Formats: sequence, C-alpha cells, structure tokens
Amino acid sequence: MEHVLEADGLGKRYAGRWALRDCTLRLPAGRVAALVGPNGAGKSTLLHLAVGLLRPDAGQVRVFGEHPYENTTTLAEIGFVAQDTPVYRDFTADELVRMGGKVNRRWDATLARTRLAQLGIPPRKPVGKLSGGQRAQVALALALAKRPRLLLLDEPVASLDPLARREFLAALMGNVAESGTTVLLSSHILADLERSCDYLLVLQGGRVRLSGDVDDIVAGHRQLVGPRHLTADGTVIRERHTDRQSTVLVRTDVPIFDPAWTVHELTLEELILGYLGEAEGATNHAEWGVPA
Amino acid sequence: MIWLTWRQHRRQALFTVLGLAALAVFVVPTGLSMRHDQRTLDPGRFADTYGSLALLSILLLVVPLLIGLFWGAPLIAREIEHGTHRMIWTQGITRRHWALAKVGLLGGAVVVFALVYGLGLAWWYQPLGQIDVRQTRFAEIFFDMQGVAPVGYTIFAVALGVVAGTMVPKVLPAMALTLTGFVGVRAAVALFARPHYMTPVAADQLVRGATGKPTGELDGAWVLAKEVRRADGTFVTNGTFRCPATGACAGDTEMGPGAYNHQLIQPGDRFWAFQWIELGIFVALAALLVWLAVRRVRRLA
Repeated sequence: MEHVLEADGLGKRYAGRWALRDCTLRLPAGRVAALVGPNGAGKSTLLHLAVGLLRPDAGQVRVFGEHPYENTTTLAEIGFVAQDTPVYRDFTADELVRMGGKVNRRWDATLARTRLAQLGIPPRKPVGKLSGGQRAQVALALALAKRPRLLLLDEPVASLDPLARREFLAALMGNVAESGTTVLLSSHILADLERSCDYLLVLQGGRVRLSGDVDDIVAGHRQLVGPRHLTADGTVIRERHTDRQSTVLVRTDVPIFDPAWTVHELTLEELILGYLGEAEGATNHAEWGVPA
Repeated sequence: MIWLTWRQHRRQALFTVLGLAALAVFVVPTGLSMRHDQRTLDPGRFADTYGSLALLSILLLVVPLLIGLFWGAPLIAREIEHGTHRMIWTQGITRRHWALAKVGLLGGAVVVFALVYGLGLAWWYQPLGQIDVRQTRFAEIFFDMQGVAPVGYTIFAVALGVVAGTMVPKVLPAMALTLTGFVGVRAAVALFARPHYMTPVAADQLVRGATGKPTGELDGAWVLAKEVRRADGTFVTNGTFRCPATGACAGDTEMGPGAYNHQLIQPGDRFWAFQWIELGIFVALAALLVWLAVRRVRRLA
C-alpha cells in the first residue's frame, strides 16, 4: 500500500519540552484521516512538521517519500489550512485567488473561483468582513486550488457554528471524493469526524495512541459491563469500577461469549474518549499552594 | 511577489509619499526664500529671520526611525500575529525567497525615499549651516539629518524592525524593541565612533594677541573640543580665551605666559567622507540584521 505520510520516531521539542515524541505512523493514500487528541497533544506540531514549517528534532517525517522541511517540491503537492484559517483580512477573496497564482507554480484559479461562486462568497469584499464560515471556505478553496495530493487541515471547523461546520465538511468531502486527495484533518469535534473520516490517528501527550482504519477500530473494540473482579479477554484499554460492577473497554479480535459480561458496541466518539480519558491528569497542588 | 508586496503595503507606501509631500511643502518654499534673502539681507538679519528653523529641523531626526517602526517592525510581526505566515509560507515558494523578495522590494522603496529626503534636506540646510559655528552641517544632529547618512539610518531602522518582528511575534512589542535598539545604536555611533573616523586636527592659537576666530571654525568644521592650556600643555579651562597683545589680562596669573587656545576639529572638507563612512557602517549593520532575519524566518513556524 502506498503511504502518503510516514513518520518514524518523529519528535519536536520546544524549550526543552517534547511537543511530539516517538511518533511513528503511516497514512495510506486516498484516505480521509482524522487526527484527534486533547489540546497540547501535538496535533498542530505534527501537521507543521508534515507541511515543512518545522524541522524535526528527532526521527524523520516523509511526505511522498521526501523530507518536507523547506522543500518546494513536496510543498507543491500539499494543501494546508492552518488553525483559525488565516488569510490576509484586507484582501478580497478574488485578490487572494490572484495571490495564489503568483506564489504557486501549479494553480487552478478557475477551480477556486467556481467553488467560491457556488458557495455565494462575495468576490470583492475584504475577507475580514466575511463570516467565519465563509472565511474558512475561502481558505479551503485556496488550498484546493493547488490541486494537492495531500490536504492537511488544522482544526478547520473549530470556530464554526454547527451549520457552517457541516457545510464546510460537505464541501471538503465532495471535492476529495472527486479528486482522490488524501486528507489529514485535526479536530476535537468528534461527532463530525465519525461522519466524514475513514481513518483515525489518536495523539496524546505527544505520542500516537491509536491509528488505523475507522471500521477496523470500531469493530475491534467492545465495552463490557459485568460484576466486579471479572477478568476480560483482550487488551484492556480502560476500566472503571463501582462497588458492584466493572465497565471495561477492551480491544479484541475475537467475539466475547462469556455470559457474565454484557457486551456493548461503541461509537467512534465513545471509543476515542475511552482512550483519551485513560491518562490521569497531572496534579500540581504544590504550585497552587493548596493541600492535595 | 512584486504584486503581493505592493498589494500588502500599498497603503503605507501612500502614507509615506504623502508625508514626504507634506515635508516638501514646508522645505521647498523656505529653502527658496532662504536663498533669496541670503543674497539680499545682511548676515545678522538673516540669522534673526531663519536661525530658529535650524532648531525646528531637529524634529526631522525621527524620520528614519518612523520608517523603521512602520515599515520594518510589522513586516514579519504582523504576519505572525495574525497567523498568516502559515498561509503564505505553505504556498509554492520558500520562506527565504519570500523574505528576500519582501525585504528587497521594501528596502528599495525605502532607499529611494531616504535619498530624496536626505539630499533634499542637505540642499535646504546649506544656508542655515553658515549662520553659527555650532550649527554647521558637520555638527551633531545637523550632520545626522542630511546627505547620505539618513539613507543608512533608514535602511538600518527597517532592518532592525524586521529582525525585531522575528524575535517578538507581535507588532507593538516589535516596534518598542526597534525604538530602543535604534536610539541606542545611533547614540553610541554618534557619540563614541564618529569623532574617531579620522584623526582630528589640532588648531592652536596663543591667548595673547588672539584676533578673529580660531582657524578651522570658519569653513564649516566640526569642533570636537575647545580648551585653554598653559605653555606646558596642562589644562586650564574649557572654552576660548583672548587677551590683547600687551597690558594686563584677566586670566594672567592662572594661565601664565605662553598660554594658548587648543582646539580639536574635523575640518569641513571631510564632511562627505564622514557621511560615506556613516552610511557604510549603518548599511553593514543592516546587512547583518537582514541575514539574521532570514535565518530566523526559516526557523519560525
């Protein structure tokens, strides 16, 4: 299988703290992948490394087999929309499309204009005066006009209302379905991802916790509810106990027949929260000067 | 990149041209009338009429700094403050290309502006420089506002602003950093380096029988030191002292016979040499800062 994005032992350090560490992953071509994790998990760092804005401090990252840092060959193949969908706010949408033509060798201005026309975006109004949803659409149109083979989106829908979010994702999915572009999309709005993504990467504390095909992941996990002190088959991801009963999230390839357990299927959202909720938050009572 | 740079900075270019035009509205008429009156009025009247203009021109010292604050500091700081650097640096061109194109184009525009400004003021100041020995074009402050030196200051100020923008990713702190750095470096160079660009010339004149002005003062020189010394060279006081050739004189007992006025000057014909040296220093500093800025840009994300 061809991999668009490969990372091996990838790490990035800021002021002595690892924002991303020992990150090893493979993103197969043609997938729409969700990059999920709590704030500070290293999602943006991973995307910035992939698009070549950052240089790794450890390990390596390859996009289409090449190192992306300051590499205009790979850059030409990547469409990137950074967090908060930044664009020059005093430019009009039409001027932004024109700008793209000046700073890219391959640039499909007609594609961008057609998309923006379909969405009813005013061409001659400064984009700073558009709504957040419209601005995000402009940023996406600019990224797509590069006709990229890989599209990296850093929380593109975080600041949008639910309707704009749905429209944005619909527009995105419509395009990538036609062009076969691989997409890596970070978000913490889990419900949206379930609808649009077929591949999952979960980051936590700078490391990859889980990665794979969404269907396989959902099929491979079960939530079991049963009497306390019962041992479950498979890899236990998370357990919670009350006085009488245990709730266990397990990863297993075989069906569970033990009648003592009540077996529940999980939604992707529940599953991701199961993984992310596992880590104990670090306490700092001393810094606050309160007793633990 | 040319279109993009123009589109992003056309407003500030317009304001700068308007500012230059406003300055010209003041400088051109006063310059012409000074030239006219210099020929028709006697020197005393001329000094009374126009002497204050020289002081007004001190205000113009801030022009290179203003250019640095409003052209240099926001160049990168504003991109980072708004996050747009992640948009423009992930298009199809390298950051190095982007930074050099921007700095080059804006730098070129700024040089043209500063040349018009510096040479224009040199023309304007020429009659004023002959009023008073403390206000020759070579004297501190007046040297700094005319000729090619302001071109160096302006380029330096812009480069400093650009680097400041890569150090602190917000426009306002970057401007504050530019201001501090500019004033510090300018003052340091003017006070400690400039007097030593060339070995000063000593002009001595005996206290007894001194008449007229000491040599050097007349031709637009820069007077670095004026002091009175005894015959053996020991220091008596600052300033100039003159006594008639014979008879009693106020300072006789203290100075003794053979006392002389000692002056250190940079002769007036060194003006342009000093201007070019000053330009060279600030252009070299600016080049270093641009190199630093490009280096920093390639490490930001």
